[in-house]
Amino acid sequence: MIESRHDSVIVRHLGGGLIPLVQIFALYILFFGQHGPGGGFVGGVMMGTSFILGILVFGPTDRSTVVAKRVAEADGVGLIIFAAVGGLCLIGGGQFLNYAELEIPGLAAPSRRYLGILLTQIGVAVDIAVTAVSIVFSLSVVSGNGDSHV
Amino acid sequence: MSDHLPIFVFVSPFLAAICMPLIGLNNPGRCRPVALTALGTMFLLSVATLWRILGHGEIRYAFSGWAPPAGIEWVADEIAAIMVVVLSALAFLCLLHTGRETDTELGSRTVPYHAILLTLVSGLTGIVFAGDLFNIFVFLEIAALSGYALVGVSGGRALVSAFRYLIMGSLGASFYLLGVSYFYMATGTLNMADLAQRIPDLLHSKAVIGGLSFMFIGLGIKMALMPLHGWLPDAYTEAPDSVSPLLASLVTKIATLAWIRILYRVLAAGSSDTSLEIIGLLWVVGSLAAVAGSLLALTQQDLKRRFAYGGLAHIGLVLVGVGQGNQTGLAGGLFYLINDAVMQCLLFILVGVIARRYGARTLDDLGRIQLPPPWIITGFVVAAISMIGLPPTGGFFGKWYIVLSAIEKENYVAVAAVLVTTLLTMAYFMQVLERMLRGGQTGPSAQKIETPLQLRLSTGVLSAAIIGLGLWSDRVVQVLLQATSQLGL
Repeated sequence: MIESRHDSVIVRHLGGGLIPLVQIFALYILFFGQHGPGGGFVGGVMMGTSFILGILVFGPTDRSTVVAKRVAEADGVGLIIFAAVGGLCLIGGGQFLNYAELEIPGLAAPSRRYLGILLTQIGVAVDIAVTAVSIVFSLSVVSGNGDSHV
Repeated sequence: MSDHLPIFVFVSPFLAAICMPLIGLNNPGRCRPVALTALGTMFLLSVATLWRILGHGEIRYAFSGWAPPAGIEWVADEIAAIMVVVLSALAFLCLLHTGRETDTELGSRTVPYHAILLTLVSGLTGIVFAGDLFNIFVFLEIAALSGYALVGVSGGRALVSAFRYLIMGSLGASFYLLGVSYFYMATGTLNMADLAQRIPDLLHSKAVIGGLSFMFIGLGIKMALMPLHGWLPDAYTEAPDSVSPLLASLVTKIATLAWIRILYRVLAAGSSDTSLEIIGLLWVVGSLAAVAGSLLALTQQDLKRRFAYGGLAHIGLVLVGVGQGNQTGLAGGLFYLINDAVMQCLLFILVGVIARRYGARTLDDLGRIQLPPPWIITGFVVAAISMIGLPPTGGFFGKWYIVLSAIEKENYVAVAAVLVTTLLTMAYFMQVLERMLRGGQTGPSAQKIETPLQLRLSTGVLSAAIIGLGLWSDRVVQVLLQATSQLGL
């Protein structure tokens, strides 16, 4: 059960400094996935971790963790991005997720593939982050009769 | 554009499922119409897919444009298309028949309920279309995870059954995955068409035999093949009334279909040059499951549990047909599979309605309630006739082809098993019908309980479908025979 913010002022201050850095690094991992190790899954896990860290340090009711709470409600957004990329490829006349046919005007085939993979990775990252946060909410931040986060 | 139809069939319930949390964010009441629309769209699209496939042959869909052995492929053949039509229609009717009652019963769980239901349907669609072994596993897990959640959605005692189902189902999935990895180790590929070319030379390799055994056990748990059925009766009995028709009619049937597909598409079990004992094993296991399942059904007091055991027997019958190793048997088995899905769906809808509206959950309760309205009685009688296997229903013709194939093979033990199952099925249905009809004369003249329109619609359509499958059985079987003729039988 996580009910309030952390007691120690050191933890709170360090957390405040560390969380943005974790998030920037998560974004770096996500975008670097195009060129080397990394990608949507790892980036998403790190992003989710930063939100979880925020909940642990500042408590679930703090103003700064409001984003994390809203995020947990948007369960399917990552998958919607994924499906939208697939759908754009279908509109372009290719198979589902055939990035070469991604229907975005003014782009050559290589950049379409690049953009397609990147967008899919972002979708994966959002989904992983949301899943991580919602697991934390449903396991530890039980509110009321426990019925609200099923 | 029509080459893309299978993906649209999959995406319509899937997209609705992932949008559900956003749709229901402010007003959970919106979930039901959206889910119904998605399933209705899916039904129309799957009919279009079937039309296209009957006219122009099967669709092979390579995701992302990568050619099959390296990329992921979906294969939509006649069997898959027919199955998806049945799947989407049954899912639509299962959701329709409960009306708005589920919303009030479930309370705050309405949004996840609808999302998970649609995920289950899209997972099952994926199993039907998947063209490689690993994707069957992925969709098997998607469908199974949704199944666990749906069984436990009403909380209380159902959670225990859901947990048991979770343990058994995960075991099954692990066994299946282990089998797939053995196949991969032996051949270096997972694509079914590619495997089919490499497997015949490797049938004596221990890795392939081991992998095959693991796959059979894994899918055996998923299709609740006697004696691996432990999870099923509890899960079906404790699941909410709106969910058990869906589970009973679809989940085990689709797992059976996956196994048939692996046997005939990958292992070429039908062709004479592969001496595969597993086909011989199949009808033995099927006969045992059929007789034992019906016997156990006869001893059950709880109605849902009784018909759950009956369902186990019917999976056995399908395997008796498939296990004969000839074309009649395979087509008959598949035809029976389709029929069984429709029959179980109607039966569980009616049992759920009787339990919810009349409070009769056991055989003894049936004798105490007033006579249910003609809609329910008629539906029940039609389902019973088909389950027993009397003309002119689909159940009769399914059994007919299965028996024919056994006679063709001079396999009289299998014929005897089917006949004994028929008699036992008749016995356990007679008990139920007798109580139900006699109860009306002695029961208290309680207030009239009305049947809502959507319930009449679902039972009417399903009863008509059962009789229609019987009347037009030769056409459906023709299509299935044509589809199975390419499998080298």
